[in-house]
Amino acid sequence: MARPVLKLKADGIEVGSEAPAVSHKLGRTDLVKYAGASGDFNPMHSDEVAAKAAGLPSVFGHGMFSMGLLGRAITDWAGVGNLLNYRVRFTKQTWPEETLTTKIVVTGKEKTAQGNVITADVSLVNEKGEAKLAGSARVLAA
Amino acid sequence: MSFDDYKGAPMSAHTVRVERGATSRFAAAVTDTNPVYHDLRAAQAAGFDGIPAPPTWTFASTFLGACAEEQPPDPTDGKGNPMMAIMSDLMKSGGLVLHGEQEFVYHRPVQSGDVLTSFGRINDIYTRESGGKVMTFVVMETVFKNEKGEPVVTEIFNLIHRR
Repeated sequence: MARPVLKLKADGIEVGSEAPAVSHKLGRTDLVKYAGASGDFNPMHSDEVAAKAAGLPSVFGHGMFSMGLLGRAITDWAGVGNLLNYRVRFTKQTWPEETLTTKIVVTGKEKTAQGNVITADVSLVNEKGEAKLAGSARVLAA
Repeated sequence: MSFDDYKGAPMSAHTVRVERGATSRFAAAVTDTNPVYHDLRAAQAAGFDGIPAPPTWTFASTFLGACAEEQPPDPTDGKGNPMMAIMSDLMKSGGLVLHGEQEFVYHRPVQSGDVLTSFGRINDIYTRESGGKVMTFVVMETVFKNEKGEPVVTEIFNLIHRR
């Protein structure tokens, strides 16, 4: 039975502390890679001709790519396998050439039957500070 | 059918194999180069038995790990996923379908070698008016269980039709 190694120590974490940010400049290759790896071939994400014909300025990013990128920042911080809950609201589309940056801010700590649990607000913003998605996560800590 | 008739309606059932090629490629596609997704030795050092799947992998898993001969009986008895019927009905009057919210609840790690069976149903449908737009929310829940029948991941998927 897998027992993921805990990476965070509850003692060293305070409300308001932030996890290291991850920044990524979104390219069209990211959209194609995510389409292939996820099976989501909606042409609005991978076919520029179709996206323009539909009145869009270009292809736009998969919401679930953004959630995956933000998820990566959460597991980089808390360790893979230590997520208990992860939820987001999709607020804006992402566009090629935008630089997306993760933000993870601790909002609470509690002792539960599962162990020490850290709660955090999580979001992904572009260089103008526009939130693309925003939500929360709960992770286990030692 | 009215919206209330759809509440609780089964949508789909799938059996998926968690294969490390698919999960590693998925990790790479969300920019995740963490060696636990790409090297079994690193995964074992991090406490896993196999290669773990990234947190959002199950959302795509039915496209990636389903073998036709292993699929469970169709819970809609051939009628098809009712979400498609609801959305195509709403789209008759135009509008946009948006992925509004997504939630994952993690009960156990997902690792290569697991065989998961998911069952999805419609939890809720409701309408709200906002800024002169009519928004219809369809809330769906999919539970993935392992071969022992233990829950592994619960997904809550909120689609919005906006007109």
